[in-house]
Amino acid sequence: MPDPSLQRDAALFAPIAQTGRGFYFTLVVLGIAILWGAVAYWTQFEYGLGVTGLQQPVSWGFYVTNFVFFIGISHAGTLISAILRLSKAEWRRPITRMAEVITVMVLFIGAGQILVDLGRPDRMMNIILYGRYQSPLLWDATSISAYLFASTIYLYLPLIPDIAILRDHLGKHRFLYAVLAMGWTGTPRQQKILNRAIAILAIMVIPIAVSVHTVVSFVFSMTIQPAWHSSIFGPYFVAGAIFSGIAALIVAMAVIRRIHRLQAYLKPIHFRYLGYLLLVMTLLWFYLTFAEYLTGYYGNGPEEMKVFWSKFTGPFWPTFWGMVALNFVIPMALLVRLQHHAVGKTVAASACIVAGMWLERFNIIVPTLSNPRLPFPETMYWPTWVEWGETAGSFGLFILFYVLFVKFFPIISIWEIREGREVGLKEVEERLLTYLPDGTEPEPARRHTKVPT
Amino acid sequence: MNGRPSPFDRAVRACQWAIAGLTLVFITAIVLWIVHLIRTAWRLGDVASASIGISLVAIPLFLTLLGVGLSVFWGLLRGGDRR
Repeated sequence: MPDPSLQRDAALFAPIAQTGRGFYFTLVVLGIAILWGAVAYWTQFEYGLGVTGLQQPVSWGFYVTNFVFFIGISHAGTLISAILRLSKAEWRRPITRMAEVITVMVLFIGAGQILVDLGRPDRMMNIILYGRYQSPLLWDATSISAYLFASTIYLYLPLIPDIAILRDHLGKHRFLYAVLAMGWTGTPRQQKILNRAIAILAIMVIPIAVSVHTVVSFVFSMTIQPAWHSSIFGPYFVAGAIFSGIAALIVAMAVIRRIHRLQAYLKPIHFRYLGYLLLVMTLLWFYLTFAEYLTGYYGNGPEEMKVFWSKFTGPFWPTFWGMVALNFVIPMALLVRLQHHAVGKTVAASACIVAGMWLERFNIIVPTLSNPRLPFPETMYWPTWVEWGETAGSFGLFILFYVLFVKFFPIISIWEIREGREVGLKEVEERLLTYLPDGTEPEPARRHTKVPT
Repeated sequence: MNGRPSPFDRAVRACQWAIAGLTLVFITAIVLWIVHLIRTAWRLGDVASASIGISLVAIPLFLTLLGVGLSVFWGLLRGGDRR
Protein backbone atom coordinates (compact mmCIF):
# COMPACT_ATOMS: atom_id res chain seq x y z
CA MET A 1 0.00 0.00 0.00
CA PRO A 2 2.47 2.70 -1.13
CA ASP A 3 -0.04 5.59 -1.14
CA PRO A 4 0.34 7.28 2.28
CA SER A 5 -3.25 8.56 2.15
CA LEU A 6 -4.40 4.93 2.23
CA GLN A 7 -2.09 3.89 5.06
CA ARG A 8 -4.55 5.20 7.58
CA ASP A 9 -7.17 2.69 6.46
CA ALA A 10 -4.75 -0.18 5.84
CA ALA A 11 -6.79 -2.41 8.17
CA LEU A 12 -9.65 -2.30 5.66
CA PHE A 13 -7.42 -3.69 2.90
CA ALA A 14 -5.84 -6.37 5.07
CA PRO A 15 -8.58 -9.03 4.63
CA ILE A 16 -8.16 -8.72 0.85
CA ALA A 17 -4.39 -8.44 0.70
CA GLN A 18 -3.53 -11.21 3.17
CA THR A 19 -4.90 -14.72 3.43
CA GLY A 20 -4.38 -16.56 6.68
CA ARG A 21 -4.89 -20.19 7.64
CA GLY A 22 -8.19 -19.27 9.23
CA PHE A 23 -9.62 -18.48 5.81
CA TYR A 24 -8.87 -21.97 4.48
CA PHE A 25 -10.06 -23.59 7.69
CA THR A 26 -13.37 -21.69 7.35
CA LEU A 27 -13.68 -22.85 3.75
CA VAL A 28 -13.23 -26.48 4.80
CA VAL A 29 -15.85 -26.23 7.56
CA LEU A 30 -18.32 -24.49 5.25
CA GLY A 31 -17.49 -26.98 2.51
CA ILE A 32 -18.50 -29.86 4.78
CA ALA A 33 -21.85 -28.19 5.58
CA ILE A 34 -22.46 -27.47 1.88
CA LEU A 35 -21.52 -31.04 0.94
CA TRP A 36 -24.02 -32.35 3.49
CA GLY A 37 -26.65 -30.09 1.95
CA ALA A 38 -25.75 -31.24 -1.57
CA VAL A 39 -25.98 -34.94 -0.59
CA ALA A 40 -29.32 -34.25 1.11
CA TYR A 41 -30.70 -32.50 -1.96
CA TRP A 42 -29.40 -35.18 -4.29
CA THR A 43 -31.12 -37.85 -2.17
CA GLN A 44 -34.37 -35.88 -2.28
CA PHE A 45 -34.00 -35.31 -6.02
CA GLU A 46 -33.44 -39.02 -6.58
CA TYR A 47 -36.17 -40.42 -4.32
CA GLY A 48 -38.64 -37.51 -3.98
CA LEU A 49 -40.00 -35.66 -0.97
CA GLY A 50 -40.79 -39.00 0.72
CA VAL A 51 -37.28 -38.97 2.21
CA THR A 52 -38.17 -35.81 4.16
CA GLY A 53 -40.53 -35.46 7.10
CA LEU A 54 -43.02 -33.63 4.87
CA GLN A 55 -46.37 -35.37 4.48
CA GLN A 56 -50.06 -34.50 4.26
CA PRO A 57 -51.22 -32.20 5.73
CA VAL A 58 -47.81 -30.76 6.79
CA SER A 59 -46.49 -30.07 3.32
CA TRP A 60 -44.38 -27.06 4.35
CA GLY A 61 -41.74 -27.64 7.00
CA PHE A 62 -38.12 -26.61 7.30
CA TYR A 63 -37.84 -25.43 3.70
CA VAL A 64 -40.58 -22.82 3.88
CA THR A 65 -39.47 -21.89 7.40
CA ASN A 66 -35.99 -21.27 5.98
CA PHE A 67 -37.47 -19.35 3.06
CA VAL A 68 -39.38 -16.92 5.30
CA PHE A 69 -36.44 -16.69 7.71
CA PHE A 70 -33.84 -15.90 5.05
CA ILE A 71 -36.06 -13.40 3.26
CA GLY A 72 -36.63 -11.77 6.64
CA ILE A 73 -32.90 -11.56 7.35
CA SER A 74 -32.50 -9.84 3.99
CA HIS A 75 -34.18 -6.78 5.49
CA ALA A 76 -30.98 -6.27 7.44
CA GLY A 77 -29.30 -4.65 4.65
CA THR A 78 -30.80 -2.57 2.02
CA LEU A 79 -33.71 -1.33 4.11
CA ILE A 80 -31.68 -0.42 7.18
CA SER A 81 -28.88 1.00 5.06
CA ALA A 82 -31.32 3.09 3.00
CA ILE A 83 -33.07 4.46 6.08
CA LEU A 84 -29.76 5.36 7.74
CA ARG A 85 -28.46 6.95 4.53
CA LEU A 86 -31.58 9.03 3.94
CA SER A 87 -31.72 10.14 7.56
CA LYS A 88 -28.02 11.10 7.33
CA ALA A 89 -27.15 9.02 10.38
CA GLU A 90 -23.38 9.56 10.39
CA TRP A 91 -22.68 6.45 12.47
CA ARG A 92 -23.90 4.34 9.54
CA ARG A 93 -20.65 4.66 7.58
CA PRO A 94 -18.84 1.48 8.75
CA ILE A 95 -21.95 -0.72 8.79
CA THR A 96 -23.97 -0.02 5.64
CA ARG A 97 -21.99 -2.29 3.34
CA MET A 98 -22.03 -5.20 5.77
CA ALA A 99 -25.80 -4.86 5.87
CA GLU A 100 -26.18 -4.59 2.10
CA VAL A 101 -24.04 -7.69 1.51
CA ILE A 102 -26.24 -9.71 3.89
CA THR A 103 -29.28 -8.72 1.84
CA VAL A 104 -27.94 -9.77 -1.53
CA MET A 105 -26.36 -13.03 -0.36
CA VAL A 106 -29.29 -14.15 1.73
CA LEU A 107 -31.88 -13.40 -0.96
CA PHE A 108 -30.26 -15.96 -3.23
CA ILE A 109 -30.39 -18.56 -0.46
CA GLY A 110 -33.97 -17.64 0.52
CA ALA A 111 -35.30 -17.83 -3.02
CA GLY A 112 -33.44 -21.14 -3.47
CA GLN A 113 -35.47 -22.70 -0.64
CA ILE A 114 -38.57 -22.66 -2.83
CA LEU A 115 -36.73 -24.63 -5.51
CA VAL A 116 -35.60 -27.14 -2.89
CA ASP A 117 -39.20 -27.47 -1.66
CA LEU A 118 -40.46 -28.46 -5.10
CA GLY A 119 -41.44 -32.12 -5.15
CA ARG A 120 -40.99 -32.30 -8.91
CA PRO A 121 -38.23 -29.85 -9.89
CA ASP A 122 -38.35 -31.26 -13.43
CA ARG A 123 -41.70 -29.47 -13.79
CA MET A 124 -40.33 -26.11 -12.65
CA MET A 125 -40.73 -24.57 -16.10
CA ASN A 126 -44.49 -25.03 -15.75
CA ILE A 127 -44.50 -22.36 -13.03
CA ILE A 128 -42.83 -19.92 -15.40
CA LEU A 129 -44.88 -20.81 -18.46
CA TYR A 130 -48.31 -21.30 -16.92
CA GLY A 131 -48.16 -19.37 -13.62
CA ARG A 132 -51.34 -17.67 -12.45
CA TYR A 133 -50.93 -14.14 -11.25
CA GLN A 134 -53.74 -14.34 -8.72
CA SER A 135 -51.48 -16.64 -6.69
CA PRO A 136 -49.52 -14.82 -3.95
CA LEU A 137 -46.63 -17.19 -4.71
CA LEU A 138 -46.13 -15.40 -8.01
CA TRP A 139 -46.45 -12.00 -6.33
CA ASP A 140 -43.59 -13.25 -4.18
CA ALA A 141 -41.53 -14.20 -7.21
CA THR A 142 -42.06 -10.74 -8.69
CA SER A 143 -41.32 -8.73 -5.56
CA ILE A 144 -38.31 -10.83 -4.57
CA SER A 145 -36.86 -10.46 -8.09
CA ALA A 146 -37.32 -6.68 -7.87
CA TYR A 147 -35.76 -6.57 -4.39
CA LEU A 148 -32.83 -8.74 -5.43
CA PHE A 149 -32.15 -6.60 -8.49
CA ALA A 150 -32.52 -3.31 -6.59
CA SER A 151 -30.37 -4.58 -3.70
CA THR A 152 -27.65 -5.80 -6.03
CA ILE A 153 -27.41 -2.40 -7.72
CA TYR A 154 -27.64 -0.69 -4.34
CA LEU A 155 -24.73 -2.78 -3.07
CA TYR A 156 -22.72 -2.35 -6.25
CA LEU A 157 -22.96 1.42 -6.81
CA PRO A 158 -21.40 2.54 -3.51
CA LEU A 159 -18.78 -0.18 -4.03
CA ILE A 160 -17.48 1.35 -7.30
CA PRO A 161 -15.13 4.00 -5.76
CA ASP A 162 -13.66 1.33 -3.46
CA ILE A 163 -13.17 -1.07 -6.36
CA ALA A 164 -11.30 1.71 -8.17
CA ILE A 165 -9.04 2.11 -5.13
CA LEU A 166 -8.33 -1.63 -5.21
CA ARG A 167 -7.70 -1.49 -8.97
CA ASP A 168 -5.17 1.30 -8.55
CA HIS A 169 -3.41 0.21 -5.37
CA LEU A 170 -3.86 -3.48 -4.56
CA GLY A 171 -1.79 -5.10 -7.32
CA LYS A 172 -3.85 -8.29 -7.64
CA HIS A 173 -7.10 -9.30 -9.35
CA ARG A 174 -6.51 -6.20 -11.45
CA PHE A 175 -8.67 -7.34 -14.37
CA LEU A 176 -11.64 -8.07 -12.10
CA TYR A 177 -11.37 -4.71 -10.37
CA ALA A 178 -10.83 -2.86 -13.66
CA VAL A 179 -14.02 -4.35 -15.08
CA LEU A 180 -16.13 -3.67 -11.99
CA ALA A 181 -14.74 -0.15 -11.43
CA MET A 182 -16.53 0.96 -14.63
CA GLY A 183 -13.79 3.43 -15.47
CA TRP A 184 -14.15 5.28 -12.17
CA THR A 185 -11.57 8.02 -11.75
CA GLY A 186 -13.49 10.20 -9.34
CA THR A 187 -14.26 13.10 -11.70
CA PRO A 188 -16.94 15.53 -10.47
CA ARG A 189 -19.26 14.29 -13.22
CA GLN A 190 -18.87 10.69 -12.08
CA GLN A 191 -19.42 11.67 -8.46
CA LYS A 192 -22.58 13.53 -9.37
CA ILE A 193 -23.95 10.57 -11.35
CA LEU A 194 -23.14 8.09 -8.61
CA ASN A 195 -24.52 10.19 -5.75
CA ARG A 196 -27.75 10.83 -7.65
CA ALA A 197 -28.21 7.13 -8.46
CA ILE A 198 -27.55 6.09 -4.84
CA ALA A 199 -30.09 8.65 -3.60
CA ILE A 200 -32.74 7.45 -6.09
CA LEU A 201 -32.15 3.81 -5.15
CA ALA A 202 -32.21 4.55 -1.42
CA ILE A 203 -35.70 5.98 -1.86
CA MET A 204 -36.91 3.22 -4.19
CA VAL A 205 -35.61 0.34 -2.16
CA ILE A 206 -37.60 1.11 1.00
CA PRO A 207 -41.09 0.46 -0.45
CA ILE A 208 -39.72 -2.52 -2.37
CA ALA A 209 -38.33 -4.04 0.83
CA VAL A 210 -41.57 -3.45 2.70
CA SER A 211 -43.54 -4.98 -0.18
CA VAL A 212 -41.36 -8.10 -0.19
CA HIS A 213 -42.15 -9.23 3.31
CA THR A 214 -45.74 -8.07 3.09
CA VAL A 215 -46.13 -10.29 0.05
CA VAL A 216 -44.36 -13.16 1.83
CA SER A 217 -46.98 -12.86 4.57
CA PHE A 218 -49.75 -12.92 1.92
CA VAL A 219 -48.69 -16.47 1.04
CA PHE A 220 -50.16 -17.40 4.44
CA SER A 221 -52.77 -14.76 5.18
CA MET A 222 -54.56 -15.04 1.83
CA THR A 223 -55.57 -18.58 2.78
CA ILE A 224 -58.32 -19.29 5.32
CA GLN A 225 -56.14 -21.60 7.38
CA PRO A 226 -56.53 -21.12 11.16
CA ALA A 227 -54.02 -18.62 12.65
CA TRP A 228 -52.95 -17.48 9.18
CA HIS A 229 -55.96 -15.53 7.95
CA SER A 230 -55.04 -12.28 9.67
CA SER A 231 -54.95 -8.71 8.44
CA ILE A 232 -51.94 -7.78 10.59
CA PHE A 233 -49.75 -10.48 9.05
CA GLY A 234 -48.23 -7.96 6.61
CA PRO A 235 -46.92 -5.50 9.22
CA TYR A 236 -46.19 -8.41 11.60
CA PHE A 237 -43.91 -10.01 9.01
CA VAL A 238 -42.25 -6.72 8.06
CA ALA A 239 -41.54 -5.89 11.72
CA GLY A 240 -40.22 -9.41 12.30
CA ALA A 241 -38.02 -9.14 9.23
CA ILE A 242 -36.47 -5.86 10.33
CA PHE A 243 -36.08 -7.30 13.84
CA SER A 244 -34.23 -10.42 12.66
CA GLY A 245 -32.33 -8.36 10.08
CA ILE A 246 -30.85 -6.00 12.67
CA ALA A 247 -29.94 -8.98 14.86
CA ALA A 248 -28.19 -10.75 11.98
CA LEU A 249 -26.34 -7.55 11.12
CA ILE A 250 -25.05 -7.20 14.70
CA VAL A 251 -23.84 -10.81 14.72
CA ALA A 252 -22.06 -10.29 11.37
CA MET A 253 -20.49 -7.06 12.65
CA ALA A 254 -19.20 -8.78 15.79
CA VAL A 255 -17.68 -11.71 13.86
CA ILE A 256 -15.97 -9.49 11.28
CA ARG A 257 -14.79 -7.06 13.93
CA ARG A 258 -13.12 -9.85 15.86
CA ILE A 259 -11.67 -11.85 12.97
CA HIS A 260 -10.32 -8.87 11.01
CA ARG A 261 -9.47 -6.75 14.06
CA LEU A 262 -11.66 -3.84 13.02
CA GLN A 263 -12.31 -2.56 16.54
CA ALA A 264 -11.23 0.93 15.45
CA TYR A 265 -14.06 1.07 12.93
CA LEU A 266 -16.81 -0.92 14.61
CA LYS A 267 -16.92 0.71 18.00
CA PRO A 268 -19.14 0.00 21.01
CA ILE A 269 -21.21 3.05 20.06
CA HIS A 270 -22.27 1.35 16.80
CA PHE A 271 -23.42 -1.68 18.74
CA ARG A 272 -25.14 0.53 21.30
CA TYR A 273 -27.12 2.45 18.68
CA LEU A 274 -28.12 -0.75 16.89
CA GLY A 275 -28.92 -2.22 20.32
CA TYR A 276 -31.38 0.62 20.97
CA LEU A 277 -33.00 -0.06 17.59
CA LEU A 278 -33.15 -3.73 18.50
CA LEU A 279 -34.80 -2.90 21.82
CA VAL A 280 -37.50 -0.90 20.05
CA MET A 281 -38.04 -3.77 17.61
CA THR A 282 -38.21 -6.27 20.51
CA LEU A 283 -41.05 -4.29 22.02
CA LEU A 284 -42.77 -3.88 18.66
CA TRP A 285 -42.46 -7.62 17.96
CA PHE A 286 -43.96 -8.44 21.35
CA TYR A 287 -46.80 -5.97 20.83
CA LEU A 288 -47.69 -7.43 17.42
CA THR A 289 -47.37 -11.03 18.68
CA PHE A 290 -49.59 -10.22 21.64
CA ALA A 291 -52.19 -8.54 19.41
CA GLU A 292 -52.14 -11.44 16.96
CA TYR A 293 -52.64 -14.15 19.59
CA LEU A 294 -55.14 -12.18 21.68
CA THR A 295 -57.35 -11.60 18.63
CA GLY A 296 -57.34 -15.33 17.84
CA TYR A 297 -57.99 -16.29 21.47
CA TYR A 298 -60.83 -13.80 21.89
CA GLY A 299 -62.52 -15.02 18.68
CA ASN A 300 -62.46 -18.55 20.17
CA GLY A 301 -63.00 -20.25 16.80
CA PRO A 302 -62.68 -24.04 17.24
CA GLU A 303 -60.01 -24.50 14.53
CA GLU A 304 -58.14 -21.39 15.65
CA MET A 305 -58.10 -22.61 19.26
CA LYS A 306 -56.70 -26.01 18.27
CA VAL A 307 -53.69 -24.25 16.78
CA PHE A 308 -53.54 -21.85 19.73
CA TRP A 309 -53.40 -24.58 22.37
CA SER A 310 -51.03 -26.73 20.32
CA LYS A 311 -48.56 -23.86 20.66
CA PHE A 312 -49.24 -22.85 24.24
CA THR A 313 -49.51 -26.22 25.96
CA GLY A 314 -49.58 -28.82 23.18
CA PRO A 315 -46.80 -30.51 21.23
CA PHE A 316 -45.34 -27.21 20.00
CA TRP A 317 -44.90 -25.64 23.42
CA PRO A 318 -41.07 -25.94 23.41
CA THR A 319 -40.72 -24.02 20.16
CA PHE A 320 -43.38 -21.46 21.14
CA TRP A 321 -42.05 -20.64 24.60
CA GLY A 322 -38.50 -20.90 23.30
CA MET A 323 -39.45 -18.22 20.77
CA VAL A 324 -40.89 -15.97 23.49
CA ALA A 325 -37.79 -16.38 25.65
CA LEU A 326 -35.32 -15.83 22.81
CA ASN A 327 -37.17 -12.95 21.13
CA PHE A 328 -38.43 -11.05 24.14
CA VAL A 329 -37.41 -12.12 27.64
CA ILE A 330 -33.65 -12.50 27.14
CA PRO A 331 -33.22 -9.52 24.74
CA MET A 332 -35.19 -7.24 27.07
CA ALA A 333 -32.99 -8.22 30.00
CA LEU A 334 -29.83 -7.64 27.96
CA LEU A 335 -30.72 -4.51 26.01
CA VAL A 336 -32.42 -2.39 28.61
CA ARG A 337 -29.08 -1.08 29.93
CA LEU A 338 -26.31 -0.68 27.37
CA GLN A 339 -24.00 1.82 29.04
CA HIS A 340 -21.50 -0.94 29.84
CA HIS A 341 -20.52 -4.04 27.84
CA ALA A 342 -22.62 -2.85 24.89
CA VAL A 343 -20.88 -5.17 22.42
CA GLY A 344 -21.29 -8.35 24.46
CA LYS A 345 -24.88 -7.63 25.42
CA THR A 346 -26.09 -6.68 21.93
CA VAL A 347 -24.33 -9.65 20.34
CA ALA A 348 -25.78 -12.09 22.90
CA ALA A 349 -29.26 -10.60 22.43
CA SER A 350 -28.88 -10.70 18.64
CA ALA A 351 -27.78 -14.35 18.61
CA CYS A 352 -30.88 -15.19 20.69
CA ILE A 353 -33.11 -13.19 18.34
CA VAL A 354 -31.74 -14.85 15.18
CA ALA A 355 -32.55 -18.26 16.70
CA GLY A 356 -35.85 -17.00 18.11
CA MET A 357 -36.99 -15.60 14.79
CA TRP A 358 -36.28 -18.91 13.08
CA LEU A 359 -38.51 -20.54 15.72
CA GLU A 360 -41.13 -17.86 15.10
CA ARG A 361 -41.26 -18.73 11.40
CA PHE A 362 -41.51 -22.43 12.31
CA ASN A 363 -44.31 -21.65 14.80
CA ILE A 364 -46.30 -19.79 12.19
CA ILE A 365 -46.04 -22.50 9.55
CA VAL A 366 -46.00 -25.96 11.12
CA PRO A 367 -48.63 -25.87 13.94
CA THR A 368 -51.27 -24.52 11.53
CA LEU A 369 -50.54 -27.21 8.96
CA SER A 370 -50.57 -29.84 11.73
CA ASN A 371 -54.09 -28.70 12.70
CA PRO A 372 -55.70 -27.69 9.41
CA ARG A 373 -59.28 -26.64 8.82
CA LEU A 374 -59.87 -29.75 6.73
CA PRO A 375 -60.71 -32.93 8.69
CA PHE A 376 -57.21 -34.36 8.98
CA PRO A 377 -56.11 -35.90 12.28
CA GLU A 378 -53.49 -33.84 14.14
CA THR A 379 -50.14 -34.66 12.59
CA MET A 380 -46.66 -34.05 13.97
CA TYR A 381 -43.81 -33.00 11.74
CA TRP A 382 -40.37 -34.43 12.36
CA PRO A 383 -37.65 -33.34 9.95
CA THR A 384 -35.29 -36.03 8.71
CA TRP A 385 -31.55 -35.75 8.08
CA VAL A 386 -32.40 -34.47 4.60
CA GLU A 387 -34.01 -31.28 5.90
CA TRP A 388 -31.29 -30.81 8.53
CA GLY A 389 -28.65 -31.27 5.82
CA GLU A 390 -30.32 -28.85 3.46
CA THR A 391 -30.62 -26.29 6.26
CA ALA A 392 -26.95 -26.71 7.21
CA GLY A 393 -25.98 -26.44 3.56
CA SER A 394 -28.04 -23.25 3.13
CA PHE A 395 -26.43 -21.57 6.12
CA GLY A 396 -23.02 -22.79 4.94
CA LEU A 397 -23.59 -21.39 1.47
CA PHE A 398 -24.70 -18.03 2.84
CA ILE A 399 -21.64 -17.76 5.08
CA LEU A 400 -19.39 -18.90 2.22
CA PHE A 401 -20.76 -16.16 -0.06
CA TYR A 402 -20.17 -13.65 2.71
CA VAL A 403 -16.62 -14.85 3.40
CA LEU A 404 -15.76 -14.70 -0.32
CA PHE A 405 -17.14 -11.18 -0.58
CA VAL A 406 -14.95 -10.09 2.33
CA LYS A 407 -11.98 -11.74 0.59
CA PHE A 408 -12.44 -9.73 -2.61
CA PHE A 409 -14.02 -6.43 -1.55
CA PRO A 410 -13.75 -4.06 1.41
CA ILE A 411 -16.49 -4.95 3.87
CA ILE A 412 -16.32 -1.43 5.27
CA SER A 413 -16.75 1.35 2.73
CA ILE A 414 -13.36 3.03 2.47
CA TRP A 415 -14.54 6.09 0.59
CA GLU A 416 -17.45 6.65 2.97
CA ILE A 417 -15.10 6.56 5.95
CA ARG A 418 -12.81 9.05 4.21
CA GLU A 419 -15.77 11.19 3.19
CA GLY A 420 -16.84 11.17 6.84
CA ARG A 421 -13.45 12.52 7.88
CA GLU A 422 -13.05 15.04 5.07
CA VAL A 423 -16.60 16.24 4.42
CA GLY A 424 -18.96 14.71 6.96
CA LEU A 425 -17.65 16.57 9.98
CA LYS A 426 -18.23 19.94 8.30
CA GLU A 427 -21.65 18.85 7.05
CA VAL A 428 -22.75 17.77 10.52
CA GLU A 429 -21.62 21.09 11.97
CA GLU A 430 -23.52 23.02 9.30
CA ARG A 431 -26.61 20.87 9.76
CA LEU A 432 -26.48 21.27 13.53
CA LEU A 433 -26.37 25.05 13.12
CA THR A 434 -29.58 24.95 11.10
CA TYR A 435 -31.36 23.18 13.96
CA LEU A 436 -30.50 26.02 16.36
CA PRO A 437 -32.61 29.18 16.57
CA ASP A 438 -29.95 31.57 15.26
CA GLY A 439 -28.62 29.21 12.55
CA THR A 440 -28.81 29.89 8.83
CA GLU A 441 -29.78 27.38 6.17
CA PRO A 442 -26.66 26.11 4.35
CA GLU A 443 -26.44 24.89 0.76
CA PRO A 444 -27.77 21.34 0.29
CA ALA A 445 -25.18 19.02 1.80
CA ARG A 446 -24.78 16.70 -1.18
CA ARG A 447 -23.45 19.53 -3.36
CA HIS A 448 -20.35 19.61 -1.21
CA THR A 449 -19.97 15.88 -1.12
CA LYS A 450 -16.88 14.62 -2.82
CA VAL A 451 -16.01 10.96 -3.10
CA PRO A 452 -12.31 10.67 -2.24
CA THR A 453 -10.25 8.41 -4.45
CA MET B 1 1.46 6.54 -26.75
CA ASN B 2 -0.61 6.29 -29.93
CA GLY B 3 -3.97 6.79 -28.13
CA ARG B 4 -5.22 3.32 -29.10
CA PRO B 5 -6.56 1.32 -26.15
CA SER B 6 -4.41 -1.60 -25.09
CA PRO B 7 -5.70 -5.20 -25.37
CA PHE B 8 -6.20 -5.11 -21.59
CA ASP B 9 -8.39 -2.01 -21.84
CA ARG B 10 -10.34 -3.49 -24.73
CA ALA B 11 -11.00 -6.69 -22.79
CA VAL B 12 -12.09 -4.66 -19.77
CA ARG B 13 -14.45 -2.57 -21.89
CA ALA B 14 -15.88 -5.69 -23.55
CA CYS B 15 -16.64 -7.22 -20.14
CA GLN B 16 -18.28 -4.00 -18.96
CA TRP B 17 -20.52 -3.96 -22.03
CA ALA B 18 -21.31 -7.63 -21.41
CA ILE B 19 -22.44 -6.82 -17.85
CA ALA B 20 -24.67 -4.01 -19.14
CA GLY B 21 -26.01 -6.31 -21.86
CA LEU B 22 -26.79 -9.10 -19.41
CA THR B 23 -28.61 -6.65 -17.14
CA LEU B 24 -30.68 -5.52 -20.10
CA VAL B 25 -31.44 -9.13 -21.07
CA PHE B 26 -32.39 -10.02 -17.48
CA ILE B 27 -34.86 -7.16 -17.09
CA THR B 28 -36.27 -7.62 -20.59
CA ALA B 29 -36.85 -11.30 -19.81
CA ILE B 30 -38.72 -10.46 -16.58
CA VAL B 31 -40.88 -7.86 -18.33
CA LEU B 32 -41.66 -10.30 -21.16
CA TRP B 33 -42.49 -12.98 -18.60
CA ILE B 34 -44.95 -10.67 -16.83
CA VAL B 35 -46.53 -9.75 -20.17
CA HIS B 36 -46.76 -13.45 -21.00
CA LEU B 37 -48.58 -14.11 -17.70
CA ILE B 38 -51.07 -11.34 -18.46
CA ARG B 39 -51.71 -12.77 -21.92
CA THR B 40 -52.16 -16.27 -20.48
CA ALA B 41 -54.59 -14.99 -17.85
CA TRP B 42 -56.47 -12.98 -20.47
CA ARG B 43 -56.68 -15.91 -22.88
CA LEU B 44 -57.96 -18.28 -20.17
CA GLY B 45 -60.33 -15.72 -18.64
CA ASP B 46 -58.40 -16.30 -15.41
CA VAL B 47 -58.77 -13.14 -13.27
CA ALA B 48 -56.80 -11.01 -15.67
CA SER B 49 -57.37 -7.97 -13.46
CA ALA B 50 -54.96 -9.33 -10.80
CA SER B 51 -52.25 -9.79 -13.39
CA ILE B 52 -52.79 -6.35 -14.88
CA GLY B 53 -52.85 -4.67 -11.46
CA ILE B 54 -49.53 -6.20 -10.42
CA SER B 55 -47.96 -5.61 -13.81
CA LEU B 56 -48.84 -1.92 -13.71
CA VAL B 57 -46.57 -1.62 -10.69
CA ALA B 58 -43.96 -4.27 -11.49
CA ILE B 59 -43.09 -3.41 -15.09
CA PRO B 60 -42.40 0.32 -14.53
CA LEU B 61 -40.45 -0.60 -11.39
CA PHE B 62 -38.15 -2.98 -13.24
CA LEU B 63 -37.72 -0.48 -16.07
CA THR B 64 -36.85 2.31 -13.63
CA LEU B 65 -34.26 0.11 -11.91
CA LEU B 66 -32.83 -0.77 -15.30
CA GLY B 67 -32.75 2.92 -16.22
CA VAL B 68 -30.85 3.81 -13.05
CA GLY B 69 -28.35 1.00 -13.61
CA LEU B 70 -27.72 1.77 -17.26
CA SER B 71 -27.52 5.53 -16.71
CA VAL B 72 -24.78 4.98 -14.14
CA PHE B 73 -22.99 2.57 -16.47
CA TRP B 74 -23.16 5.00 -19.37
CA GLY B 75 -22.45 8.09 -17.27
CA LEU B 76 -19.38 6.61 -15.55
CA LEU B 77 -17.86 5.36 -18.78
CA ARG B 78 -18.39 8.71 -20.53
CA GLY B 79 -17.46 10.89 -17.58
CA GLY B 80 -14.31 9.06 -16.58
CA ASP B 81 -11.60 11.25 -18.10
CA ARG B 82 -8.41 11.18 -16.08
CA ARG B 83 -8.08 14.16 -13.79
